[in-house]
Amino acid sequence: MIGDGPPEVLPHEAYLAALASLDRVGPATLRALLTLGDPAAVWERVRAGRLPAALVATFPPASAAVVGTWPGLARGIDAAVLWKRCVRLGVGAVSLGSPGYPVALVDDPDPPVLLFHLGDPDVLVAPRVAIVGTRRATGYGLRQARALGAELAQAGVCVVSGLALGIDAAAHRGAIEAAGAPPAAVVGGGLESPGPVRNARLARDIARTGVILSEAPPGVTALPWRFPVRNRILAGLAQVVVVVESAPVGGSMLTVQEAQTRDRPVLAVPGPVDSLVSQGTNLLLGEGAGVCAGTQDVLCLLSLAGLVGPVGPAGPAAMVDPRPQPVGPAARVLDELGWRPSTIEQLALRTGMGLRGLSAAIGRLEQDGWAVRRGGFVERVARAEVREGKATVAYRRR
Amino acid sequence: MLAAVPSATLLGVQGHRVRVEVHVSEGLPGFTVVGLPDASCREARDRVRAALLSSQLIWPLKRVTVNLAPTNLRKAGSGLDLAIAVALLGASGQLDPELLRGAAFLGELGLDGAVRRVIGMLPLCEAVGASRPVVPLVDLHEASLVRPDARGVASLTQLVLALRGEEPWPQAPGPRRVPEPLGPVPDLAEVQGHAIARGALEVAAAGGHHLLMVGPPGAGKTMLAERLPGLLPDLDDAGALDVSRVHSAAGSLSDVPSLVRRPPFRSPHHTASLVALIGGGSSVLRPGEISLASGGVLFLDELGEFPAAHLDALRQPLESGEIRVARAMVGATLPARFLLVAATNPCPCGAGPLGRCRCSPGQVARYLRRLSGPLLDRFDLGLWVDPPEPAAVLGTGSAGESTAVVRDRVAAARERARARGVDANRQLRGEALDRAAPLSDAGVALLRDRLEAGTLTMRGAQRVRVVALTIMDLEERSGRLTPDELHVALSLRSQDGVLGVAA
Repeated sequence: MIGDGPPEVLPHEAYLAALASLDRVGPATLRALLTLGDPAAVWERVRAGRLPAALVATFPPASAAVVGTWPGLARGIDAAVLWKRCVRLGVGAVSLGSPGYPVALVDDPDPPVLLFHLGDPDVLVAPRVAIVGTRRATGYGLRQARALGAELAQAGVCVVSGLALGIDAAAHRGAIEAAGAPPAAVVGGGLESPGPVRNARLARDIARTGVILSEAPPGVTALPWRFPVRNRILAGLAQVVVVVESAPVGGSMLTVQEAQTRDRPVLAVPGPVDSLVSQGTNLLLGEGAGVCAGTQDVLCLLSLAGLVGPVGPAGPAAMVDPRPQPVGPAARVLDELGWRPSTIEQLALRTGMGLRGLSAAIGRLEQDGWAVRRGGFVERVARAEVREGKATVAYRRR
Repeated sequence: MLAAVPSATLLGVQGHRVRVEVHVSEGLPGFTVVGLPDASCREARDRVRAALLSSQLIWPLKRVTVNLAPTNLRKAGSGLDLAIAVALLGASGQLDPELLRGAAFLGELGLDGAVRRVIGMLPLCEAVGASRPVVPLVDLHEASLVRPDARGVASLTQLVLALRGEEPWPQAPGPRRVPEPLGPVPDLAEVQGHAIARGALEVAAAGGHHLLMVGPPGAGKTMLAERLPGLLPDLDDAGALDVSRVHSAAGSLSDVPSLVRRPPFRSPHHTASLVALIGGGSSVLRPGEISLASGGVLFLDELGEFPAAHLDALRQPLESGEIRVARAMVGATLPARFLLVAATNPCPCGAGPLGRCRCSPGQVARYLRRLSGPLLDRFDLGLWVDPPEPAAVLGTGSAGESTAVVRDRVAAARERARARGVDANRQLRGEALDRAAPLSDAGVALLRDRLEAGTLTMRGAQRVRVVALTIMDLEERSGRLTPDELHVALSLRSQDGVLGVAA
C-alpha cells in the first residue's frame, strides 16, 4: 500500500494501538495476538486476514465472533496516522515492560498490554486509594465522596477513580479542590474526550494536575464491555478500594471483586438501610469489608494514620464548629431533621410549623451551613467544611 | 331596491360590526355575495333561499347582490344568514325598510326557516353598537348579559310577524338548566396533610405567582392544582366580561345564566396541539386553552411531556398577558392572562432522589432538559410535593382551613396589590417594586450573599422580593422586607432544591 510510509520509524506501541483499535480487542485478545510475533508483524497479518484458526480459538468468544470484521476495519486504520493523532493530543502510550509503565500494574494478574495516559503518570508513585460508587448517588454519598477525596489528597494520597458521574466525579472534585496529592482517573474510552461530556471540565482539571489512564486508543468509544475491563485497572492500581454508595450489583461491585482477587483491602461507607444505593455497601460490610467512617479509617490501612491532622469525620471532635449555633425555631427544626434527609412536608408534620415559619427556619439553617436542600429534600450537614464553595478555602488555608 | 341592516362577525374573541347590504335589480336571476365572505358565509345563499321558501316568503327572481361591508374584513361563519335574509326581504319589498330601522340581526338559518345558535353571541352583541340586536331565541340569555334589550326569535316566520307587529316578540324560554358556571370547585379543607403545599397555593393565589410542582406520581399535585382557582377572588366586572367573552367565542357560555364570575380552570392534556393551546385556525381564530384560562388557572400536568415548542410558545403570553395570533388573511389578539400551574415528576421513574430512584443521571438530565431554562425562570414558586404521611391521611388531625377562609386572605392581599396599581404583585417591576418592597439592612445582606455565591441571579433576586412582598401582604404587615420573608421566598424560589440533578 502507498500510504504505509516507512514502518520502521514507528515505535511498536503504534502497532499495539492500531491492534487495540479493532472491535473487541481487550487485554486477553491482545496478549493472544502477540504470541504471533512483534506488533508490526501481527498488524500486517491482521490486515491481510491471515490469522491462524488455532490462535483464534484461544480468543475470548466475544472477540472470536468478530474476527472476520478485523481485516476490513484494519484497512481503514493507519498505524502512523493513529500514532500522530496520539502525539497531537498529547496522549502518551506505554507498553508492558517498557520504562514508564506503572509499577503497580507490573505484577498484576491481568496487566494492560498497552496503557495510554494524559497528564503526568508519575503521580502514581504516591499511595493510591480508589474511591468508587454509583452514578445515581444521593447527597449523602456525594458529600462523603467529596470529603474523602479532599482529605485523602491532603494526606498525600493519590485518589483514583473512574471519572463517571456521581461518586467518581465527587471524589475527583474533592481531591482537586483540596490541592493535595494529584488525582488519577481510569476511563473506558479513548482519551481524546475522556469520561462523560458533563465531566469534561473535571477531566481537564485532572489531566492538568494528575493523570487520566485508558487502555483504549484515541477515537475508541467507551462501549459497555470496556467498563468492567477498566475496573480491573482501578483495582490493580489502588492499595485500598473504598466503596461509597453502590447498588448490590453494578460496576462498583465488579471493582470490589477485582480488588478481592488482588488481595486489596476493601472498605465500605455505611448508609441508610432503606436506600437502594447503600444496599451494596451495607452488603459488603456484612460480608466482612472494613468500615469507612472517615478518612482515618483509610489512612490506617495505608499506615499513614496519625501522620496528618485530625481531619476525618471519625476524628476527635476537638475542632471548633465555626457555624453559628441555631436558635429558636431553627434549632427545633434542626433537632427534628436529625440525620435522615426529610422533605419539607415531613418536617412540617413533625414540627407542626407552617410554610412561613418552617421555610424561614430552613433558610437560616441553609444560610449558616447546617442544612442543604437537594431534589426536594432537606439534609443535615455534618461539618462546616463540606459546604460547597467554601470547601476550597477551608482546605487551602490549612 | 336597496336595503341594509347591521350585523356582526367574530374574529378571535372580538365581534366586528358588519353592514349587510342587499341590492335587488332587474336582470338575469342570480345571487352574488361580495365582501370577503368565507366558504360558510357564501353558502348563505342556499340556506337563505330554502329558509325563505319554507317560510312562505318569496325568493325574488331577480338579480340579487349582497355586499358585506367593510369589504376588507374577512367574514366567517353562518351568523350573517339572518341579516342577509332580512335585508333581502326589505330590498324585495316584502318588509317595510322602516321596520328594520335600529335593529341588528344575528343568527344562522336552517332550511326550514329556523333561527339557529351562533357562537360568540356575547362579543357579537357588543359589536352591533346602538342597534338593538335580534338573536336566536336559544342565545337570548347570553345576549342579554351585555344587551338586556336584545330580542329573540325562533324562526324566520316569527321574526317577520313580530317585525310587522302582527304578533308579539317571543318570550325568553323559561327557567334554564342552571349549572354551576364552571363546575363545582373542590374545597381546600378536603386536602389531608400537605401543610406546606397549601401555604404555597395561598401565596400563588395572592400574588398571581406561577407555580411549579414537582413530586412522585400520586403525591396529590393535580388535587392541589384543582383547588387553586377556588382560592382566587371573584372576577370584577371588567374581568368577568373579558372571561365571558372568551368563553362565548369558544361556544361554551350559552347555558350560563350570568357572566362568568369565578376564575376558570383549564387543564389541557399534553397531547393538545399547538393551535389548541395557543388559539388559531385558518379563518375564525378560535381562542385556545391559554385564552380560555385567562383570568383563571392554566394547569399543565406532566409538564415534561408537553412538546418543547408548545412550552416555549407560552413564554410570550406569560410575559404580556395576551397572545397575538396571525394568519395570512387574518390576525387577532386574544387574552392570555392566566396563572400557570405546572406539575412534573422528578424523573422518568417518578420515585425521586434519596436512593429510591432507578433512573440513571443521564435519564434524569434528559427528562429535565425538556423544561427550558427560560420557562423555568417564569415560575416564581417551586414546590416539592410528596405523598402525605399515612398519619396525616388517616389521623383525626383537625382539617385544614377551608377554601373560603383562605380566599378572604387572598382577596385582602390582592386589595393591597391593587393599591399599588397592579392586579397582583407578580406584575410589579423595576421602580414600582423598589417602592412597594424596600429591603431591610439584613435583607440586603442576605440577598447580596446569595448573589455573590452565585446561587441567585439578578432576575431571581427581583422575583424573590416580589414573593416576599406577597407573603407580607398575606400576613397584613407592612414595612421593609426582613430575612424571614426573604428566606421563605428563597426556599420557594429554589428550582435547584426541587429539581435535583445528581452532580
